[in-house]
Amino acid sequence: MSGQSACCGTAKNILLYACSGGANVAEVADKAARQLMSEGLGTMFCLAGLGADIQGMVQTARDADMNLVIDGCQVDCARKIFERLGLKNCQYLRVTDLGIEKVKGVRSTQDQVDKVVAKAKQTLEQVRKG
Amino acid sequence: MVRLQILGTGCPKCKQLAANVEAAAKALGIQYTLEKVTDIDQIMGFGVMITPALAIDGQVKVVGKVPTVEQIKAMLGPGG
Repeated sequence: MSGQSACCGTAKNILLYACSGGANVAEVADKAARQLMSEGLGTMFCLAGLGADIQGMVQTARDADMNLVIDGCQVDCARKIFERLGLKNCQYLRVTDLGIEKVKGVRSTQDQVDKVVAKAKQTLEQVRKG
Repeated sequence: MVRLQILGTGCPKCKQLAANVEAAAKALGIQYTLEKVTDIDQIMGFGVMITPALAIDGQVKVVGKVPTVEQIKAMLGPGG
């Protein structure tokens, strides 16, 4: 639990989730979420745990100030998990919406990650401003 | 007998949550046990990564927040 600041902290509790697929866009989503976390903009959390209906994890997402969900492509697996759970405190991003093509067997590039990070920051800022 | 568990390492918020939970349980006149779970591995076993949290009969009800006594009473009441 190191790195968690919510206990006795006053910071907003923003949780970050990334697509867990095998294509390049999943790698982009994952790296972007990790970069956002390393910059202190949120805490990465376990999408698989929500998919598996781990009760404590679902409640954690439910009680978060915001869940920022980064899907890789238009299949929107991550978004569907949140919708199935009825969670409303979410913002959604999709890597392919940013002009990044889904290709299997190709690695992500830092430019692509930066593009998603920038969009995520914009989204977080909009939410912060209300 | 309702099993109430406070998940947290013992920070002021954890203590406040414990106090609120106890006040709610007493106000409702329910029979309960109150346990403070401070072991990180045990806390993570609930799927909880942010504390404090409250589990009622093994179900995590609140994470990273300190609900009021009234809110906890609602969780402990029928349909909670």
